[in-house]
Amino acid sequence: MTDYLWKNLFKRTPPEKALHAILRENILFEDLTSKQLRFVSNIVHLRKYSSNETIFRQGEIGVGMYIIVSGSVTISAQQANRGADKEAGKTIITRLGSGDFFGELALVEENGRRSATAEAAETTELIGFFKPDLLEILERNPLAGVKITLRLGEVLGRRLRETTERVSVLEEQLKRNRAE
Amino acid sequence: MDTVGMYNRERIIKSAAVGGIIVLCALIILKVDNILLSFILAFVISYLLAPVVNAAERTGISRKVAVAGLFLFLTALFATGIYLLLPVVTAQVSALRSELPHFIDGVSKLLITAETRINAILSGVYQLDVSATANRVLSGLSGQMFEDLPRYTSSSLAVLILAPFFAFFMVLDGQAAAKKILELVPNNLFEPALNLKHRMNAQLGGYIRARLLEAGIVCLVVWLGLAVIGFPYAVLLGTFAGLTNLIPYIGPIIGAVPAILMTLVTGASGLTVLAVVAVYTVAQLIDNFVIIPLVVARIVDLHPVVVVIVIIVGAQLAGIIGMIISIPVACILKLTAMAIYEHLVEFGN
Repeated sequence: MTDYLWKNLFKRTPPEKALHAILRENILFEDLTSKQLRFVSNIVHLRKYSSNETIFRQGEIGVGMYIIVSGSVTISAQQANRGADKEAGKTIITRLGSGDFFGELALVEENGRRSATAEAAETTELIGFFKPDLLEILERNPLAGVKITLRLGEVLGRRLRETTERVSVLEEQLKRNRAE
Repeated sequence: MDTVGMYNRERIIKSAAVGGIIVLCALIILKVDNILLSFILAFVISYLLAPVVNAAERTGISRKVAVAGLFLFLTALFATGIYLLLPVVTAQVSALRSELPHFIDGVSKLLITAETRINAILSGVYQLDVSATANRVLSGLSGQMFEDLPRYTSSSLAVLILAPFFAFFMVLDGQAAAKKILELVPNNLFEPALNLKHRMNAQLGGYIRARLLEAGIVCLVVWLGLAVIGFPYAVLLGTFAGLTNLIPYIGPIIGAVPAILMTLVTGASGLTVLAVVAVYTVAQLIDNFVIIPLVVARIVDLHPVVVVIVIIVGAQLAGIIGMIISIPVACILKLTAMAIYEHLVEFGN
């Protein structure tokens, strides 16, 4: 139902490439020059996850976002009113593949909680880009930092517009249902 | 072996590697002479210089050039400082050495006078007898201080060479080294570990820079103030006041003791005593009403009672060094405890 939230609007071709090339293809880093990309490549973190390994859990404090280099990731959410039976309340929201990214809201939130659980669906390689990394870029290379932050604003803005549109549709649907 | 088994094995190996590296580093630092002090000093230097290097990097200069240039400049500055100050410091140390027996004699007389007066007031209820012991301890201490001076000097030289050497690489490659260590952290702990490292860096960096600013200003005010009123050993007393100011709460009192004792022992005029007290008071007023509220208080969020307990524990465990580093260590422990609570306890619920 909430697929729109996680659907990657900015997905490009997903071949398995070097860190530098993967970053260049991501919307957040697409305005950076080669020199700035090299600088960012030295700051971000490459992490490997085995199949079914949890990347982060719903409710945890989020520190940053992940870009999928290879493999795939399942995003699921636990519904609040399902009691102790966690598996029963679990809803698979979407499955993301190479080139997709998720968790970017944590880059701007202060101690914000993860709104869903991310789990590696197979052996997966991710680029981790976290709030301390963004702050370090802003401190050491403000021009690159501003370019990334503007793009991040754009991504979050699009997510918000999508959510607003979806809420409007649901409200209309609710009104119609009540009228009937 | 199945995937889950391999994953668990990898996680155990990574955790063991991180633990092993930490234990090995701790053993080397604690067991090898001068390494602990050199490392503490190197950390302080690196936290002090990192913002300068970052500022240079922001202008487009490469980090390597910025670090090398800054260290060359500081070496030249340090050498010039030594060249200019060494004759003054040497003269003041020599003068102090020749006059120290006279000061100790004066302090002993002061103690005897005070003891006699207190015993007269107590009139037999309790017999105070500390002057003889204090005299023996002071005489022994002063003799030992100058006997140990060559050993301290060689040890200080080793620290003065090692600390900038370590600091150079900490500023240059510190982030890369921290990233390499973080690579070894298991996936499930990676985000909390990264967040903790960032918070520790921010708080420690701010604290160290603020405390050094405080010490520097106190040193300068005392030095200039004593020089203006024509009090001897202004450089030594200013440096001592600046260094002891690093110890919270009791440091400023310890820093003022030598000058106050000197005025009492040498039989200085009441005006001189007042002037010396005024110099130390002005230094502390500037520190407490300008620097601490504007800089330090915003950085360390520890209750005064906790601060006092932490300093006592630091003093018990590692003497004066323990008192100086007790607050930052307590900050690290507090942040770590908070991170563990947030990750395990709060989230677990």
